[in-house]
Amino acid sequence: METVVLGIAIIGGLYMAWNIGANDVANAMGTSVGSGALTLTGAIVVAGIFEFGGAVLVGSHVTDTIRKGIIEVAMFEPTGPFGPDGPLILALGMLSALIAAGAWLHLATHLSLPVSTTHSIVGAVVGIGVASFGWAGVDWSKLVEIMMSWVVSPLLGGFIAWTTFVFIRKRILQSGNPVAATRRVSPYLISVVLAVMILSLIYKALGNVMEAPPFLLAMLIAGMIGVAGGAACGWLIRRSPPRQEDPYVYVERIFARLQIGTACFVAFAHGANDVANAVGPLAAVVDLHRAGFEAISTQVAVPMWVLMLGGGGIVLGLATLGYRVIATIGKQITEMTPTRGFSAEFGAATTVLIASRMGLPVSTTHTLVGGVVGVGFAHGMGALNMRVIRNIVNSWLATVPAAALAAAALFTVARLIFV
Amino acid sequence: MRSIFGLFARSPFGPLAKHAERAHDCVELLTPLTEAFMAGDWDQTQELYKKISKLEHKADELKNEIRDHLPKSVFLPVDRGDVLLFLKEQDSIADSAEDVAVLLTMRRTPTPEAMKEPVRAFVTHVIAVSAAWRDGAAELPTLQEASFVGAEVEKTIELVKDISDMEWEADKRQAAVGRLLTEHEEELGAVSVVYWMKILKEIGDVANHAENTADILRLMLARR
Repeated sequence: METVVLGIAIIGGLYMAWNIGANDVANAMGTSVGSGALTLTGAIVVAGIFEFGGAVLVGSHVTDTIRKGIIEVAMFEPTGPFGPDGPLILALGMLSALIAAGAWLHLATHLSLPVSTTHSIVGAVVGIGVASFGWAGVDWSKLVEIMMSWVVSPLLGGFIAWTTFVFIRKRILQSGNPVAATRRVSPYLISVVLAVMILSLIYKALGNVMEAPPFLLAMLIAGMIGVAGGAACGWLIRRSPPRQEDPYVYVERIFARLQIGTACFVAFAHGANDVANAVGPLAAVVDLHRAGFEAISTQVAVPMWVLMLGGGGIVLGLATLGYRVIATIGKQITEMTPTRGFSAEFGAATTVLIASRMGLPVSTTHTLVGGVVGVGFAHGMGALNMRVIRNIVNSWLATVPAAALAAAALFTVARLIFV
Repeated sequence: MRSIFGLFARSPFGPLAKHAERAHDCVELLTPLTEAFMAGDWDQTQELYKKISKLEHKADELKNEIRDHLPKSVFLPVDRGDVLLFLKEQDSIADSAEDVAVLLTMRRTPTPEAMKEPVRAFVTHVIAVSAAWRDGAAELPTLQEASFVGAEVEKTIELVKDISDMEWEADKRQAAVGRLLTEHEEELGAVSVVYWMKILKEIGDVANHAENTADILRLMLARR
């Protein structure tokens, strides 16, 4: 019986991960394929490597939030209102949340509704908490923090993207010699991308070696590696002189290389944040199963194999269906150029990585939208459809209740069957 | 589709350059049109009028298509009002060319021998103004790529200034032909004189609209 529950949780987690790889990764990679910085094959390779990398290396923080940060897990203790069945009921709840979120996403994809995996799983988990103990079942302060991050992440992504493109506009496009300016400025840009991308990894690595690593040290090391990367970039640029071409064509050609860097970064950040949507509930069930469904243990770190399962599921989804979705989206996005893509992606990836590090589940797609709009505000985009913003706000309001209801319904059925 | 694609709207800058091309296609036919008219070849004049009318309609179709993709919810790197004004004025270039053709087919108005060469030179110059504008409009996609700053903007403003000078020259030629016209008013008779005045004004308007469109582009760039 316990094995059945664990087995279903693993299948559910794999299914969600596959779903993310099939549908969500395309949004993260769409701007890179659309601008021409990556071919379809390149996108699949980058996504495959970096989604998995992000999931496994940084995915534990958000996974932790989903598995025990939203519901008041302590109330499922054997000494609590549910008695000795408490832990099993929690496991069933997590299972229901997983399956309900997966089904809701399947339906939404079928109806072409813009629904976020993150919002769905958070809503589903909230539904379980409320179905169990009413208002007391949910850590509302945490939920408010999460929902605020949904609002802040597109804004922050937009702000960073705006700043980046204003910099590119002023230093390169507005300069008397855009070709020379590009050759001078791109090593610095690549340094920053590299440093920001590996900062969290360095900090984690230091944490494995020392007791309380000072953040400044991590920044220093990441900065040095960034500078090294920038120098390598500078050397490569010197070997790539301008041909007989329009200066703006040259600028975009060089930035296409730089955008490969931000594409990796976006895939990494997306993997780090979204793997939790698949394996957060699974991690909870694994925890409970380990204790034989007799106690709630909340101290253990998320097991590596769970993260790898999630990462693997994402890559599988990407390989079986996701590549086709990337191809479609890439063909549709014609108004993206590398300079703009670089700025938007850097803004989005940085924001999503910060959120991941803080354990906050955010929507990468919404943050990327924020990034592109930020570039638009810097006069970088030919034309943007601002109705999308209204759709995003609607989804903040609608998805959580819908997913919560679905999960609560499934939960009630599961309890009737198993308990 | 749960996709980021919904965010991207169709950029108007490529289509606007294409619309300038279509407008100029109408204007280019003014030379054979006026030649046929001044030679008294009324059938050929009628033929060319039909051609210009068709081309003007194609320009209108593109204009409407561009407008369809510019609802209030679209966010542009320049002022949306400026873009719509620009499109309206650019469309008037084609409209004026068509109006010339209408006037030439409306009545078999004779041309005094002394006026033929000056009219020919006037029309050639107006077509040159329109061509200069067509070249300026062709810069729009590059301007958008450059995010409306830098050397590209300066280059375009120079083009706009040149068009302004050329339009002034067109005005002067129009005035000269007008004066020549009154010298032949006895020979032509009142009705022909009135028609010729309308024809000259309409030809001049082609250059005027081209210059106005260029000015609106300058406005668009100045607000950056």
